[in-house]
Amino acid sequence: MTGAWKKSETYRAIRAALYDSNPISKQILGICSSLAVTVKLSTAIVMSLALTFVVAFSNLVISSMRNQIPRNIRIIVEVAVIATLVIMADEFLKAFLYDVSKQLSVFVGLIITNCIVMGRAETFAMSNPPGKSFVDGLANGIGYGSILCAVAFFRELLGSGKLLGFQVIPDSFYAAGYQNMGLMLLAPGAFIMIGLFTWLENTLLGD
Amino acid sequence: MNEQLKTIVFAFVLCLVCSLLLTAAATGLKKRQVQNVLVDRHRNILMAVGLIGDNQHPAARSIEELYRAKIKELWVDSAGAIVPPDRRGPADLPLYVYYEGKSIEAYVVPIDTRGLWGQINGYLAIDKDGSTIRGFTVYHHSETPGLGGEIERSWFRKKFVGKKITDQQGRFVSIAIAKGSVEQVVPEAHRINYVDGISGATMTGRFLTSGFKDILRNYEPVAVRFRQALMKKKESREGGPDDRSVEEK
Repeated sequence: MTGAWKKSETYRAIRAALYDSNPISKQILGICSSLAVTVKLSTAIVMSLALTFVVAFSNLVISSMRNQIPRNIRIIVEVAVIATLVIMADEFLKAFLYDVSKQLSVFVGLIITNCIVMGRAETFAMSNPPGKSFVDGLANGIGYGSILCAVAFFRELLGSGKLLGFQVIPDSFYAAGYQNMGLMLLAPGAFIMIGLFTWLENTLLGD
Repeated sequence: MNEQLKTIVFAFVLCLVCSLLLTAAATGLKKRQVQNVLVDRHRNILMAVGLIGDNQHPAARSIEELYRAKIKELWVDSAGAIVPPDRRGPADLPLYVYYEGKSIEAYVVPIDTRGLWGQINGYLAIDKDGSTIRGFTVYHHSETPGLGGEIERSWFRKKFVGKKITDQQGRFVSIAIAKGSVEQVVPEAHRINYVDGISGATMTGRFLTSGFKDILRNYEPVAVRFRQALMKKKESREGGPDDRSVEEK
């Protein structure tokens, strides 16, 4: 059972998205948003969910239309589908998670131009059946989200001593001279974290 | 079917479906979004007067309850007199008054001004003395994140607390954002009217400074009334926030 599962294409697609060619740590895509929304874990989680939703459903929709899409306007079609999904996600966040959506500000809208979404639509969804494309989108979203949340975890922990807004570093640490790492709150902090993750995956875990 | 025609038909149908979906999402969720924006504004007014702390995130319902209990929305004309809602003109200014029991504690002026990249919207709360700033909040801006965007952060907003919009003689001067640290660039006598600037956000500071000046000048007649304790006197004679007769004057 597990052997057959490991040989299945779905498994390989998931493994590729999460690890072998992770959008952030291997392909170095989507860096802009991962620098901007990882100061806090809560924004990173919401951003990951929004991107996963968009990439999964854009893959599904584009893949199910792939035989009808005229070749000469395919990029326009892809962008139209992606933009529609992004705006829907944005409207949804504004209605149900207003505070988080205010913090994410333009970055939800910028999912439209996120290379991960376009990349999956163009390279995978255009040449694979809907089911597989949906799983591929889901896996890529999770691959992106896993790095995003990991970076945000360390940035929030080291930068403000909190996790999801709750104080986790006890006051006695601060009394003993511990200080929050201000660098982690700035964009360079995210660069360093992403760099460390990339190095960790490439060197320590082997290529 | 002709290849070109097929392309046009496909594009047309796709656009139609996308626009229908977006319209449905936008109109279906509109009510909730408008409500969220309103609660957020009320939260900012309450934060400006100090009823909600910076790290507190009360639920929407308790914000609304607190707002209804403590804040009253008024309109004032250019002379600073209260205008009844049915006789409100286009030149009249909105004013939010913070009541503790029956006495006025502070009033809140909406700050809607130009920023570097777009509109800045916020609230400035001024004590009942008509000159001491009680708090400042920003609920919308398009400034550069990390630079001008810092205006919404509590470390910057806290600097306004206790500053004055009047000089030592009690004359109106507005509140300004210094270019750099107040201690280094502003003479001692004027420090009470300046807050430290944000490095890398000189332009945002400049826009905000001129916005404060224009808006507070418009509200100066109201501030004068507070300074002369006119508002307080009227209130103590005529009753609490629900007393409509206050507005008839």
